[in-house]
Amino acid sequence: MKQHLGRQSGVQNVEVSLIDGKVQVTPKEDGQIDLAQLMKAAYDSGVSVAEMDMTAQGKIVRDSSGTLALQVEPNRSFAFEPNDLSKGLESLASSQTVVTVRGQLYKKPAGKKKVDASVPLKLLLLEAPKQAPKKE
Amino acid sequence: MNVKKYAKKFSLLCLLTFVFVPASQAQIKHIEMRVEGMT
Repeated sequence: MKQHLGRQSGVQNVEVSLIDGKVQVTPKEDGQIDLAQLMKAAYDSGVSVAEMDMTAQGKIVRDSSGTLALQVEPNRSFAFEPNDLSKGLESLASSQTVVTVRGQLYKKPAGKKKVDASVPLKLLLLEAPKQAPKKE
Repeated sequence: MNVKKYAKKFSLLCLLTFVFVPASQAQIKHIEMRVEGMT
Protein backbone atom coordinates (compact mmCIF):
# COMPACT_ATOMS: atom_id res chain seq x y z
CA MET A 1 0.00 0.00 0.00
CA LYS A 2 2.85 2.38 0.86
CA GLN A 3 4.32 1.99 -2.62
CA HIS A 4 0.93 2.21 -4.33
CA LEU A 5 0.02 5.43 -2.53
CA GLY A 6 3.50 6.80 -3.05
CA ARG A 7 3.04 6.49 -6.81
CA GLN A 8 -0.04 8.73 -6.85
CA SER A 9 0.46 12.17 -8.33
CA GLY A 10 1.33 14.88 -5.86
CA VAL A 11 2.46 12.47 -3.13
CA GLN A 12 5.90 13.10 -1.66
CA ASN A 13 5.98 10.66 1.24
CA VAL A 14 3.81 7.96 2.80
CA GLU A 15 4.19 6.53 6.31
CA VAL A 16 2.10 3.56 7.33
CA SER A 17 1.54 2.53 10.94
CA LEU A 18 0.32 -1.04 11.19
CA ILE A 19 -0.34 -0.73 14.92
CA ASP A 20 -3.05 1.92 14.78
CA GLY A 21 -3.99 1.61 11.10
CA LYS A 22 -2.93 5.14 10.28
CA VAL A 23 -1.47 6.34 7.01
CA GLN A 24 0.34 9.69 6.96
CA VAL A 25 0.67 11.29 3.56
CA THR A 26 2.91 14.27 2.89
CA PRO A 27 1.98 16.06 -0.34
CA LYS A 28 4.56 17.58 -2.65
CA GLU A 29 5.21 21.31 -2.39
CA ASP A 30 3.12 21.99 -5.51
CA GLY A 31 0.03 20.73 -3.65
CA GLN A 32 -1.31 18.98 -6.75
CA ILE A 33 -2.68 15.98 -4.88
CA ASP A 34 -5.94 14.32 -5.80
CA LEU A 35 -7.57 13.27 -2.53
CA ALA A 36 -10.39 11.24 -4.09
CA GLN A 37 -7.77 9.39 -6.15
CA LEU A 38 -5.75 8.81 -2.99
CA MET A 39 -8.73 7.21 -1.26
CA LYS A 40 -9.43 5.08 -4.31
CA ALA A 41 -5.76 4.02 -4.41
CA ALA A 42 -5.98 2.94 -0.76
CA TYR A 43 -9.06 0.90 -1.56
CA ASP A 44 -7.36 -0.61 -4.63
CA SER A 45 -4.47 -1.72 -2.46
CA GLY A 46 -6.82 -3.77 -0.29
CA VAL A 47 -7.89 -1.52 2.59
CA SER A 48 -10.87 0.70 3.15
CA VAL A 49 -10.53 4.27 4.34
CA ALA A 50 -12.48 4.84 7.56
CA GLU A 51 -11.46 8.48 8.02
CA MET A 52 -9.42 11.09 6.24
CA ASP A 53 -8.12 14.22 7.95
CA MET A 54 -6.31 17.07 6.28
CA THR A 55 -4.15 19.95 7.46
CA ALA A 56 -4.15 22.76 4.96
CA GLN A 57 -3.29 26.39 4.61
CA GLY A 58 -5.40 28.74 2.57
CA LYS A 59 -7.82 31.62 2.40
CA ILE A 60 -11.38 31.66 3.63
CA VAL A 61 -13.76 32.30 0.75
CA ARG A 62 -17.38 31.81 -0.18
CA ASP A 63 -17.93 29.45 -3.11
CA SER A 64 -20.45 29.96 -5.93
CA SER A 65 -23.29 28.67 -3.72
CA GLY A 66 -22.33 31.01 -0.88
CA THR A 67 -20.90 28.25 1.29
CA LEU A 68 -17.85 29.09 3.36
CA ALA A 69 -14.77 27.27 2.04
CA LEU A 70 -11.01 27.02 2.35
CA GLN A 71 -9.27 27.97 -0.89
CA VAL A 72 -5.96 26.13 -1.15
CA GLU A 73 -5.30 26.90 -4.81
CA PRO A 74 -6.82 29.41 -7.24
CA ASN A 75 -9.15 26.73 -8.65
CA ARG A 76 -9.45 24.47 -5.66
CA SER A 77 -11.43 24.93 -2.49
CA PHE A 78 -13.00 22.74 0.16
CA ALA A 79 -16.45 23.72 1.41
CA PHE A 80 -16.82 23.63 5.19
CA GLU A 81 -19.31 21.39 6.89
CA PRO A 82 -20.94 24.02 9.11
CA ASN A 83 -19.94 23.88 12.78
CA ASP A 84 -18.87 26.30 15.53
CA LEU A 85 -15.32 26.51 14.20
CA SER A 86 -16.43 27.35 10.65
CA LYS A 87 -18.76 30.05 12.04
CA GLY A 88 -15.74 31.57 13.76
CA LEU A 89 -14.03 31.98 10.39
CA GLU A 90 -16.93 33.78 8.70
CA SER A 91 -15.42 37.17 9.42
CA LEU A 92 -12.35 36.20 7.37
CA ALA A 93 -14.35 35.40 4.23
CA SER A 94 -12.89 37.13 1.18
CA SER A 95 -10.14 38.72 3.21
CA GLN A 96 -6.61 37.94 2.14
CA THR A 97 -5.87 36.26 5.44
CA VAL A 98 -4.09 32.92 5.19
CA VAL A 99 -5.10 30.44 7.89
CA THR A 100 -4.03 26.92 8.76
CA VAL A 101 -6.80 24.53 9.65
CA ARG A 102 -7.18 20.83 10.33
CA GLY A 103 -10.36 19.06 9.44
CA GLN A 104 -12.02 15.82 8.60
CA LEU A 105 -12.69 15.34 4.89
CA TYR A 106 -14.20 11.92 4.99
CA LYS A 107 -15.69 9.48 7.44
CA LYS A 108 -16.93 6.15 6.25
CA PRO A 109 -20.68 5.79 6.73
CA ALA A 110 -21.63 2.75 8.79
CA GLY A 111 -21.85 -0.41 6.75
CA LYS A 112 -20.43 1.11 3.57
CA LYS A 113 -17.41 -0.67 2.14
CA LYS A 114 -16.33 1.23 -0.94
CA VAL A 115 -15.40 4.89 -1.11
CA ASP A 116 -17.76 6.98 -3.20
CA ALA A 117 -15.33 9.23 -5.11
CA SER A 118 -18.13 11.10 -6.88
CA VAL A 119 -19.28 12.89 -3.71
CA PRO A 120 -17.43 16.19 -3.19
CA LEU A 121 -15.36 16.13 -0.01
CA LYS A 122 -16.54 18.58 2.65
CA LEU A 123 -14.23 19.77 5.37
CA LEU A 124 -15.46 19.36 8.94
CA LEU A 125 -13.19 21.66 10.92
CA LEU A 126 -11.46 20.08 13.92
CA GLU A 127 -8.90 22.82 14.55
CA ALA A 128 -8.97 26.42 13.42
CA PRO A 129 -6.98 29.47 14.51
CA LYS A 130 -8.17 30.90 17.81
CA GLN A 131 -6.06 34.03 17.75
CA ALA A 132 -6.08 36.66 15.03
CA PRO A 133 -4.05 35.23 12.14
CA LYS A 134 -1.47 37.17 10.17
CA LYS A 135 -2.58 39.08 7.13
CA GLU A 136 -0.67 38.76 3.86
CA MET B 1 27.76 52.44 -9.61
CA ASN B 2 28.04 48.86 -8.43
CA VAL B 3 26.18 49.66 -5.23
CA LYS B 4 23.33 51.14 -7.26
CA LYS B 5 23.23 48.04 -9.45
CA TYR B 6 23.08 45.66 -6.48
CA ALA B 7 20.53 47.81 -4.69
CA LYS B 8 18.29 47.56 -7.73
CA LYS B 9 18.70 43.78 -7.85
CA PHE B 10 18.00 43.50 -4.13
CA SER B 11 14.83 45.60 -4.47
CA LEU B 12 13.65 43.36 -7.31
CA LEU B 13 14.33 40.26 -5.21
CA CYS B 14 12.35 41.69 -2.30
CA LEU B 15 9.45 42.53 -4.60
CA LEU B 16 9.40 39.03 -6.12
CA THR B 17 9.54 37.44 -2.67
CA PHE B 18 6.58 39.54 -1.56
CA VAL B 19 4.59 38.60 -4.66
CA PHE B 20 5.30 34.86 -4.77
CA VAL B 21 5.74 33.70 -1.18
CA PRO B 22 2.16 34.35 0.00
CA ALA B 23 0.77 32.44 -3.00
CA SER B 24 2.90 29.42 -2.18
CA GLN B 25 1.66 29.43 1.42
CA ALA B 26 -1.77 28.17 0.42
CA GLN B 27 -1.65 24.43 0.07
CA ILE B 28 -2.44 21.06 1.55
CA LYS B 29 0.18 20.38 4.20
CA HIS B 30 -0.64 16.94 5.51
CA ILE B 31 -3.13 14.13 5.12
CA GLU B 32 -3.89 11.42 7.63
CA MET B 33 -6.04 8.41 6.84
CA ARG B 34 -7.32 5.78 9.20
CA VAL B 35 -7.71 2.58 7.26
CA GLU B 36 -9.37 -0.73 7.96
CA GLY B 37 -8.44 -4.18 6.75
CA MET B 38 -4.68 -3.63 6.82
CA THR B 39 -2.66 -6.79 7.51
